[in-house]
Amino acid sequence: MKDILTIIFRLTVACLLAGLVMGAVFIATNKAKKHNIHLNEQKVILSLLGYSAKNPAPESVAMHEVYRYLVGEGEALAMGYLLPLRDGSFSFVTIDLAGGFVAQNPVALAAEKAAEAEARTPAIAAALGADKPLRYADQTIVVTDGGKRTAYLLPGRFAGFKTFIGAMLAIDPNFSILGLEIMEHEEDPGLGAEIDQGYFKNQFKGKPLETVKKLEVVKTPLPEEYLRALEAEKSGLGAAEVASIQEQYQDNDIYALTGATISSRAVTNGVKAMVKKFAYRLAILDRVLVEQHIATPF
Amino acid sequence: MATDKTNLQLVVNGILNENPIFRLVLSMCPAVGISTTVMNGFMLGIAVLFVQVCSSCTIALFKNVIHPRIRIPTYTLTIATWVTVIDMVLAAYLPEAYAKMGIFIKLIVAFAIITMRLEMFASKESVNASFWDGIGMGLGFMLGMMALGFVRELLGMGTLLGYDVLGFKPMLFFVLPLAGFFCVGLMMAFFNYIEIVYKRAKRA
Repeated sequence: MKDILTIIFRLTVACLLAGLVMGAVFIATNKAKKHNIHLNEQKVILSLLGYSAKNPAPESVAMHEVYRYLVGEGEALAMGYLLPLRDGSFSFVTIDLAGGFVAQNPVALAAEKAAEAEARTPAIAAALGADKPLRYADQTIVVTDGGKRTAYLLPGRFAGFKTFIGAMLAIDPNFSILGLEIMEHEEDPGLGAEIDQGYFKNQFKGKPLETVKKLEVVKTPLPEEYLRALEAEKSGLGAAEVASIQEQYQDNDIYALTGATISSRAVTNGVKAMVKKFAYRLAILDRVLVEQHIATPF
Repeated sequence: MATDKTNLQLVVNGILNENPIFRLVLSMCPAVGISTTVMNGFMLGIAVLFVQVCSSCTIALFKNVIHPRIRIPTYTLTIATWVTVIDMVLAAYLPEAYAKMGIFIKLIVAFAIITMRLEMFASKESVNASFWDGIGMGLGFMLGMMALGFVRELLGMGTLLGYDVLGFKPMLFFVLPLAGFFCVGLMMAFFNYIEIVYKRAKRA
């Protein structure tokens, strides 16, 4: 009996100590970690749009974040979009699932607070008034150059082989893919982890909406010249050559990674779903914006 | 019962006499799963080295207050704590290295080699000896992984450290986990053979 008590006591102390150490390290490092993630995201966004440290984005380029929520309207479900307005304020537009306009509520939110979920969600809930159930769905970044839309950035998550794959997709106003970047994944090293390599993710580049809609994975080997074009940084191929090869293959399906068909298929289906759903939702949102004369900066 | 080996002997012991992969045959799952390239082997080796040294020192320091009946849970707790700490610190301060190593670090909690070293060595020896034993075991694991990675990368993909050295892919089979076992077995036989030859030459 006494033995059990000492065992319980010592194990508890050990657990508490371990918890204390981990908690302290978490508190000490969390801010730096979040900052790194944010920096990385910014870098990825710029590189997807074709800008870099050497070739910075011009002043006329602006990014507008649109946050999508699921709102409970009585029994039914509706989509809610938090939109920035031209005068710097925010508006929350609710649209039912059939695409009909439901309501528009002004949201009291400071522009620099919009990126923080802790500040954003309560502000929207307050604007909606009655305690309607509200759930965050995803965000879209609309990129404009001098007021004209040039690209959409879609951060997304979809199921991979074992757990979720986080990705950032850039598409142009015609819904052709500008680029894909894998933000986080836990696929098997050497097999599924190759999804973040150029020869896989660059295959998505330049594919038009019509191709993406019926995109599949094929298990034939990657053609040699296509591989060289996809890994232009390694093979040193010129930009013009890369573009011509890319164009030749742009309507093809995705070549699967060796030994990782499931991961390849997961990414392909994830991208396909993201583009298709976004194109569908954006059409509805744009129609509502025009009908209701909502003045967004994009 | 303190060890009578010097620090250098402890390190060499981990690399040769008690090499975790070819002699103790521990942590085989991650070894055959990850050792597809030299770089992967090196990354996992570095991560194991850190965790092994930190855990060994911790256990050696607290060995007198660990109740013998709950020593294994305590070891696991120690390893998990260090893995989490290293994971968080790397993510915060060395994001570039973390991008490459992050996926390996989380695997280490389940490594038999670390638990085994804590049980066999650190729980009986001084902090100093445990530190050098941890270094030796970590290096032994790293070198073993790199040797495996060397063979598998060269034969499987025709590259070394990512550079194309052969220009063609001799046997893709070597990249798959199954081939890892063949590699371990063949290399183990090779090292045993060398040892036998060496001993015979010494005796003669």
